[in-house]
Amino acid sequence: MPHIVMESIIKSYGDVRVLDGCSLSVEKGQVMTLLGPSGCGKTTLLRTLAGFVEPDAGRVLVGGIDITALPPNRRSVGYVFQNYALFPHLTVAENVAYGLKVRRRPGPEIKDRVARALDIVSLGPLGDRYPAQLSGGQQQRVAIARVLVLEPDVLLLDEPFNALDAKLRLSMQTELRKLIERLGITSIFVTHDQSEAMMLSDQVAVMRAGTFEQVAPPLAIYDRPANPFVATFIGRANILPVGLRAGAVVDFPAVVAERPDGPADLIVRPENLTLAAGRIDPGTGQSGPPGTVLFAIAQGPTIEYEVDAGFPEPLRVTVNRRSGEVPLAAGSPVSIGVIDPAACRVIERGTP
Amino acid sequence: MTAAAISPGRRPGRLVRRMLHGGGFWPALPAVLFLIVFLVLPMLTLLAFGFVTIDRGRIVGDSFTLQPLWAALNDTLVWRLTWRSFYVAVISTVMTLLLAYPVAYLYSQTKGIWRTLMLVAVISPLLTSALVRAYAWLVILGGRRGIVNHTLIQLGVIDEPLRILNTDYAVIIGMTQIHLPFMILPLLAVLAERDRRLEEASFNLGASRAETFFKVVVPMSVPAIFAGLALVFAISYTNFIVPQLLGGGNYATLAVQVYEQTVVVLDWTRGAVLAAILLSSSFAFVFLIVWVGSRINRWSEARA
Ligand SMILES: Nc1ncnc2c1ncn2[C@@H]1O[C@H](COP(=O)(O)OP(=O)(O)O)[C@@H](O)[C@H]1O
Ligand SMILES: [Mg+2]
Repeated sequence: MPHIVMESIIKSYGDVRVLDGCSLSVEKGQVMTLLGPSGCGKTTLLRTLAGFVEPDAGRVLVGGIDITALPPNRRSVGYVFQNYALFPHLTVAENVAYGLKVRRRPGPEIKDRVARALDIVSLGPLGDRYPAQLSGGQQQRVAIARVLVLEPDVLLLDEPFNALDAKLRLSMQTELRKLIERLGITSIFVTHDQSEAMMLSDQVAVMRAGTFEQVAPPLAIYDRPANPFVATFIGRANILPVGLRAGAVVDFPAVVAERPDGPADLIVRPENLTLAAGRIDPGTGQSGPPGTVLFAIAQGPTIEYEVDAGFPEPLRVTVNRRSGEVPLAAGSPVSIGVIDPAACRVIERGTP
Repeated sequence: MTAAAISPGRRPGRLVRRMLHGGGFWPALPAVLFLIVFLVLPMLTLLAFGFVTIDRGRIVGDSFTLQPLWAALNDTLVWRLTWRSFYVAVISTVMTLLLAYPVAYLYSQTKGIWRTLMLVAVISPLLTSALVRAYAWLVILGGRRGIVNHTLIQLGVIDEPLRILNTDYAVIIGMTQIHLPFMILPLLAVLAERDRRLEEASFNLGASRAETFFKVVVPMSVPAIFAGLALVFAISYTNFIVPQLLGGGNYATLAVQVYEQTVVVLDWTRGAVLAAILLSSSFAFVFLIVWVGSRINRWSEARA
């Protein structure tokens, strides 16, 4: 039995259906990330779990118990708000103690647990400060400590790293990941940053317009995106209109597909393509259409090419760069090849 | 003269130039001039009357004296009136807060047309003069045939009419109602604009609605509460219309005395001295309220 189960959640605001039948389950101790463009309903789904949003239809279960009708203050679901929502009139320690005081815990116990929670997030000495006297990263850690001190069953975080600068973000991401692993709390993150999703989660749920496009481990999503939306949202991808003949792609015969002959779309990542100068076949397992370099840019370890290979869009190819190698000049004739045909996806033509 | 006073920043040339550049001050200039000419100067003139000798309507030149002030401060009547002004204002101000807060909170929880209607209802009493509203209370609270007594007698709750009019009760009731909008408006502005996520955070941490209200909503509105308290206290403490009308002929507060000495008795010296006492004590109380408010609200000054 998964720890968190959301069953066909539907929520509309006026005529707009913000959540359109979302079903999701998260195993105990796992980290799930909701990934999707802004406005797709991630926050609304999270708020439904926390009890701030009442769904029009569907059920929410935590630990097998239906909590759909439970008010937010009776759920054991910790919520870290997007901008932390710390109480500005309380000190750091008072913020962290808030939930314990509400639960009428004895004073010495509160003191003890607050001190421990602040230690976990390395804020021990700052207990007497007010939130306005803290940096963004420190505020975030207070928000996390305030929730963790209550030892909730579930931890929800809405874009927790958005307000942090890039460097701090990276260190907080790893810190939080370690912390969650250590405490073993089932967690759901919201983000619109794909690298954050890849890094933090056991499972990624890619959302679009109130529905899930794909729910899978991050690498599975990267390697086998269900559709072009997922493929382009996580990493980059070429979506090529191709023909199928005898179970293989016409332009890339190495790529086989168990589909009837006819038109189809091929999803292939830029780093799964390679190219060689000239019109000659680049070699074993590499067979593809000839093309012309439109644009090339060297980025240290790799070279990014845009190649006109007869498709409506330029083909993007990323190749590893050897030391001293200079990109091919624009206009050079090249031959394109697929590195791993198994990592390509052939889907129905026109799938969005 | 200290070093700071002669430091370059304080040189007159600099100061004038800074004033010319000081965009912060200039927009307020018309208002400041207006207030100086029509408020500060007349007030100073009035107060000055308390410290000179007036003989047959003329100021006797060069006759500064503290004697009238001394006399007033030694008059137990003045102290009794000040005490009444004070407790009537305090009770009325607290009542105003207790009545205004739920109204402002309700306003912050309503939306659309209801919100607009509430705002109109809060503001509309200001469209009639305080005098008219005080007279209305006269009708409501008045003798045997006043609305309150008439209703209670008809219902058999009481046999004899309650004596409300011409007591502190009438004055406090009237003042509270008349000053209500001045308490509601600052509260309403702050409560309507407050950050609702703080309440959600409180719920999420396990607090009930009531706990959230008292631990989050009320503390966050402390600045507005104290702004309202200071404002309403000042206008209650110095109000003379309501005590005069609802307190009746034998009822007086310090403000009523100022009015009577100046307009009825025409003893301008005593009127001015009492006005000075009223004004300075009012200032002191308002200052105290603001100070207490900022003490409670110290977190808002906390910055990195
Ligand atoms: N309380 C609300 N009232 C009306 N519309 C809302 C409300 N909350 C969210 N929405 C709408 O629902 C959509 C999804 O919002 P949200 O869940 O915040 O998206 P995300 O977090 O993925 O950016 C948006 O179009 C937003 O305008
Ligand atoms: Mg959001």
